[in-house]
Amino acid sequence: MKCRGKFARARTRLLPRNCRDVARVLNISVKLALRHATAGLLCWLVVAVAPHGLAQTYQGKELVKAELLADTTAIVPGKPFTVGLLLRMAPGWHTYWKFSGDAGLPTEMKWKLPPGWKIGDIQWPIPLKTIDPGDIETYGYENEVLLMQEITPPSKLDGSSAKISTEANWLVCEKICIPGGATLQLDLPVASTSQPANADVFARYRRLLPQNSPGPDVARADWSRVGSDLRLKITSETLVKYPAIDFFPLPEQQETIVGHPAVQSRNNNEIVFNIPLESAPKDLSSMAGLVVFAQQPNDDDRAAWQITSATAVSAAQSAPTRGIFTFLLFGFLGGLILNLMPCVLPVISLKIFGFVQQAGQSRQKIFRSGIAFTVGIFAWFIALAILLIALKGAGRDVTWGGFQFTNPYFVLALSVIVLVFALNLFGVFEVSLPQSVTRNLLSTSERKDLVGSFFQGVFATVLATPCTAPFLGTALGFAFTQSAAIILAMFIAIAAGMSAPYLLLSAQPAWLRFLPRPGPWMVHVKQFMGFLLLATLLFLLYVLGAERGLEGAIWASCFLLVISVACWMKGAFVVPTASAVKRIVVLVLMLLLVIGSAVYFIGDKFQSAKIASAESQSAGDWQPFTPERLQTELDQGRTVFVDFTAAWCLTCKFNEASVLESHDVREAFERHGIVKLRADWTNGDPVITKLLQQFGRPGVPLYVLYPAKNEEPIVFPEVLTKSMVLDKLETVARGVASNRAASR
Amino acid sequence: MKKKLLLTALTSLIAAAVFAADAPPVGSAAPDFSLPDANGKTHSLSQYKGKYVVLEWFNPECPFVKKHYGSSNMQNLQKEFTDKGVVWLTIDSNAPGTQGSLTPEEAQKVATSWKTHETALLLDPEGNAGRAYGSKNTPNMVIINPEGKVIYRGAIDSKATPNPSDIPSSTNYVKAALDQSLSGKSVSTPETKPYGCSVKYKSS
Repeated sequence: MKCRGKFARARTRLLPRNCRDVARVLNISVKLALRHATAGLLCWLVVAVAPHGLAQTYQGKELVKAELLADTTAIVPGKPFTVGLLLRMAPGWHTYWKFSGDAGLPTEMKWKLPPGWKIGDIQWPIPLKTIDPGDIETYGYENEVLLMQEITPPSKLDGSSAKISTEANWLVCEKICIPGGATLQLDLPVASTSQPANADVFARYRRLLPQNSPGPDVARADWSRVGSDLRLKITSETLVKYPAIDFFPLPEQQETIVGHPAVQSRNNNEIVFNIPLESAPKDLSSMAGLVVFAQQPNDDDRAAWQITSATAVSAAQSAPTRGIFTFLLFGFLGGLILNLMPCVLPVISLKIFGFVQQAGQSRQKIFRSGIAFTVGIFAWFIALAILLIALKGAGRDVTWGGFQFTNPYFVLALSVIVLVFALNLFGVFEVSLPQSVTRNLLSTSERKDLVGSFFQGVFATVLATPCTAPFLGTALGFAFTQSAAIILAMFIAIAAGMSAPYLLLSAQPAWLRFLPRPGPWMVHVKQFMGFLLLATLLFLLYVLGAERGLEGAIWASCFLLVISVACWMKGAFVVPTASAVKRIVVLVLMLLLVIGSAVYFIGDKFQSAKIASAESQSAGDWQPFTPERLQTELDQGRTVFVDFTAAWCLTCKFNEASVLESHDVREAFERHGIVKLRADWTNGDPVITKLLQQFGRPGVPLYVLYPAKNEEPIVFPEVLTKSMVLDKLETVARGVASNRAASR
Repeated sequence: MKKKLLLTALTSLIAAAVFAADAPPVGSAAPDFSLPDANGKTHSLSQYKGKYVVLEWFNPECPFVKKHYGSSNMQNLQKEFTDKGVVWLTIDSNAPGTQGSLTPEEAQKVATSWKTHETALLLDPEGNAGRAYGSKNTPNMVIINPEGKVIYRGAIDSKATPNPSDIPSSTNYVKAALDQSLSGKSVSTPETKPYGCSVKYKSS
């Protein structure tokens, strides 16, 4: 006899078990008509005082018993706890996973929470995979499952108890499918402390939750798209030790229809899954899912790694919205400051020196010389702007600064130029360069001066490019998001800033009066400048070493040695006093020597010099950066500090030496257990390039602090100070610690 | 290693032969079949060449099928398009003894009591037609054009729930595909993930 006298429907029935017992008892002593009514009334009473467990019955059989559990005895305001939907299914009946497979429907929960409460996503235990005739694969649970969710009460709760309720819906199938549902409630006391409750069942299902995929030293996941299929290769010696390994997909987009993943191949350190796509967006290159491994399929002790479809490395808001004129101003100031950058100073000193020489000359000449120098600066910047605009138009990822220095051949070319300049200053050879004291003092050809000044301007700019000064970083980042006209305007502003001092100086030669008159001291200063250039050369060799390894640096040095010899030959034999024949012969010899050594040292040796893989390098307590590494560390609840640097970036080196490697800062990092990752952009790694762009920066340095998994990263300015870094670390660490305490 | 490969290859071939569950993709030729209807008359796909044919996999016990029949959504759809000359074949591929499999008498009863409007209700207890189309769910819809090519396969509509109240707000993919095809346009959504109960195939 059915309690409420309703006809049997395939829909859910929410009746406590006791109803039937109540009816049976009444059977004995009460009349039929009254029986129904009383039974009904008693049933309702039983329901009212029944525990929060309800059953889904079908044709008299109880299919699913649903219950809402909490893992705590009381609610502490502000302290998160876990609730779980416990579904107990009749033997042979299944409910479904987040992705049900070919058939079925995932269990759903709709929460009715009072204001101020927050609830997290369902934590799905690793499901079982069922294959039915007709090659029908479904993912779900049988016998029992607990679907957990983390819930956070507000920090202030009125009343001595709180009630939360949810509407759960599921589909339970055996040979047929019956949709089921229940409205469940949880009524818990509010207190200042609590004890764990239902510990066993929560522990049992927590053990069945998938883990985050481990770091790159344990396993690596590589995705590829082969026609209409996805391939997932997991390289892990520990994983392939398990006999039963499978991939359970979790397609994210609506339009993606996934087929049945299958193991394509496996050997003793990697396994490849083939994931057929019956319909998917053309650019789909990966899919989230679980890599499930166990001794046998559907084992009770199964475990799984969560594979995400793409590494979500969130970027902070890009350049702040300031007016365009502010940016142009920044560009101008940045240009001014470029003059002081270590890579530019030697050349600039030469220019100032040039002004000293010209002190005695006509005002017009000096001014024209200054103009030529300025034009040189502008020329290079404008050419660069046009090139970058063209590349941007062609759709390429462009950044400024690193752009040139990541190319070892560019660095090599610069090295040659710097060396030749230095040798000239030492007096190894003389050319008709404005720097040459003797020639200048005797020179009447102004044209040569102007051309020389022009090239000096270009050279100074070329050297300055990678040293993105503090103001330039934001300004350029902004410029690159704008139109071509604005990019051009920005570069012109920078050029103006950089050339301003010289233009002013050349326009006001009166100021030159403050500089000493020409004399023998000029030779000494000139030679000393040569050493400054050698210092620059050392720096460039260091960059070459970072880009092509020690071998590369040595081969480059061999080539530079030959260049030196060629310069000496020029200086010794190709002199105005030698005969024309002698000069030509020596020149030809020089050319042969240079070309021959270029072909051998550079074309062959330097070309093939390879640097050891960046991944294997870790300097001290700095680990090499990869997006996966970052994600893993964040997932494990750690705070991460990322230093984007490059071998040729002097601002980076300065920051590292003065701030990051200082005792106080190092100690602060250690104390707070912050993971330090270094992103080396020396060779222009495209992954790092993309990240730099996301943060609105065209180049290095960039310093980002990731406090925790779902929090906005904090971006530091290009020039660090100890106090700034220490302050931020303290604030973040305190914030993270308080979050952790709240979640315990 | 070679032996393993060979064994795997053989088993896959056998499995493939047994299950033949590789569904014909959109744009390919629809496999032919020959099945009896509830009145004993045999229908084959080839006899309907030159007409649009809708194949609808059916299970009267499945809540997702009942969603569309209980609300008359399916019957209305059937009437609308059979009136326009479309051939509508409802197919029951469930194995005998499973819930949802129909004997000819039961099939006639269901058709009458549910006031269905299909051209024919075909019985496929062996599951051959179902497997040939890789049909895994009920309801699963396949639309074939007069040239015999599959132009749509997948769900009947966009909301994968057993609730009839979701029907008015769902996009009906079958109606959309047929409307577009009948007016000479191409089908904008030719493939979707079907939803529903699994077809209860005979285990081999």
